[in-house]
Amino acid sequence: MHDLLDDYTHFNALINTSPRLKLLLGIGAMLLCISSATPIAPLFIAISMSLITVVIAKIPRLFYCSLLLIPLSFALLSSGVVAFMHGGGSQLFGMNLLGFMLEIREDGANLALLLIARTFGGMCSLFFISLTTPMMEIFSVLKSLGLPDFLVDLSMLMYRYIFVFIDQAHLIHNAQVMRLGDAGIKNTLNSHAILSGVLFLRAWEQGERLIVAMDARCYDGKLVLMEQGAKAKPRAIFAIIGYLVVVEAIVFLTKDIQLL
Amino acid sequence: MEGFLPLYWCVLWYAISLPVVAYGAYKMNIMIKENREILPLLAVSGAFIFVLSSLKMPSVTGSCSHPTGTGIGAILFGPWITSVLSTVVLIFQAVFLAHGGLTTLGANTFSMGIVGPTVGYLVFKTCRKQNVNLYLTVFLAALFADWFTYIVTSIELALAFPAASGGLLASLKAFMGVFAITQIPLAIVEGAVSALLFKYIVQLRGDVLLKLNVASQDTIKRLQEASI
Repeated sequence: MHDLLDDYTHFNALINTSPRLKLLLGIGAMLLCISSATPIAPLFIAISMSLITVVIAKIPRLFYCSLLLIPLSFALLSSGVVAFMHGGGSQLFGMNLLGFMLEIREDGANLALLLIARTFGGMCSLFFISLTTPMMEIFSVLKSLGLPDFLVDLSMLMYRYIFVFIDQAHLIHNAQVMRLGDAGIKNTLNSHAILSGVLFLRAWEQGERLIVAMDARCYDGKLVLMEQGAKAKPRAIFAIIGYLVVVEAIVFLTKDIQLL
Repeated sequence: MEGFLPLYWCVLWYAISLPVVAYGAYKMNIMIKENREILPLLAVSGAFIFVLSSLKMPSVTGSCSHPTGTGIGAILFGPWITSVLSTVVLIFQAVFLAHGGLTTLGANTFSMGIVGPTVGYLVFKTCRKQNVNLYLTVFLAALFADWFTYIVTSIELALAFPAASGGLLASLKAFMGVFAITQIPLAIVEGAVSALLFKYIVQLRGDVLLKLNVASQDTIKRLQEASI
């Protein structure tokens, strides 16, 4: 149940790096990834970001590999659709299925490869952010960028309660399985509904009591958030800008190369 | 999924979603100013939507899928507030679970946070006016919220990648076909679960629904008596 990426965030080797820099690197890489016209730059981003996450931030290797399976199914399915829908160029693969002619042509295959590469590049950049930057630091960056106070408060309270409710859902689910609540589709549906219903009511009651607790601690419509995270070191700033410039150069230089 | 949409479409969907979410945030701010007890309630509801959508649903086809959970949000809080809540939920989902992504956030917000809840809310209001049974109404609202979320997702994908022969429509048909395999049964399951969920809320804490203006006193009383 506890497979949130957040668990690893607090024990990575980059925890004392400035959150702004980490966000800049992750989001910068993502944007370059989706603006690239060929699969080369996204693949470069995917590999370099994975190396940064595993080698520099010291995220366990096996866990990181299991994460890479998440985008795989979606990327293959959607790129499959794209590959079949795009004609043009010579035919690479053809099949007759129930009277429909399914075929992959050069353009479609190129586009599908580009999409898979972009998805992996983007996901690796996203994993970098989620595995190295604690949510609280992201909140403090957002706050300093001018997001309204009530939205930051709302997100922080939500963040806190997500863990409470996941635990409760887990306990309820265990209790249901112990009592054979998952025997057959009808029971499973009913159990799932009871679980969600009880979870909602518990959440609601927590919420009703929460304002009392907050008032008791002098809540005046604003939760105080410490500016967290270290200041950016000049060396790190140069390294990240250098990396982004190199990627941008790769995007620019490879924009006319066709793989197939 | 991160990186799937080209830059141009990412920016466009952000531009479309941002004003709606901003207006939702504006309305939310007014609500919080009027009644400060509402902020914690919205926060726990957002956390509830997150947990609900991260639970694996029992699916008929044997595979497990994730529900959207926004249909219930729309019924309880209306589409504007839900759009803000689901935007925050989507950010959490991207960062914690690697579902969706940050560059595709605009497109996901439009399909899951704006169109889905709005359709669910309209279905809910129409059915309530016609005096349809409350549980059936909830079922239909969650069902259509789910379906429209995926129809809009297919449209977003088809717009970004129109087919060479047949153009937009052919591509749309293909994406919808792929989504339909999993989403048609899943939405029915989600609708059924939402209706049952409402049954428990009515039985245990009918006053919550009354407070949120979801159902009138008479309706809740009648349903509570019927279930005893």
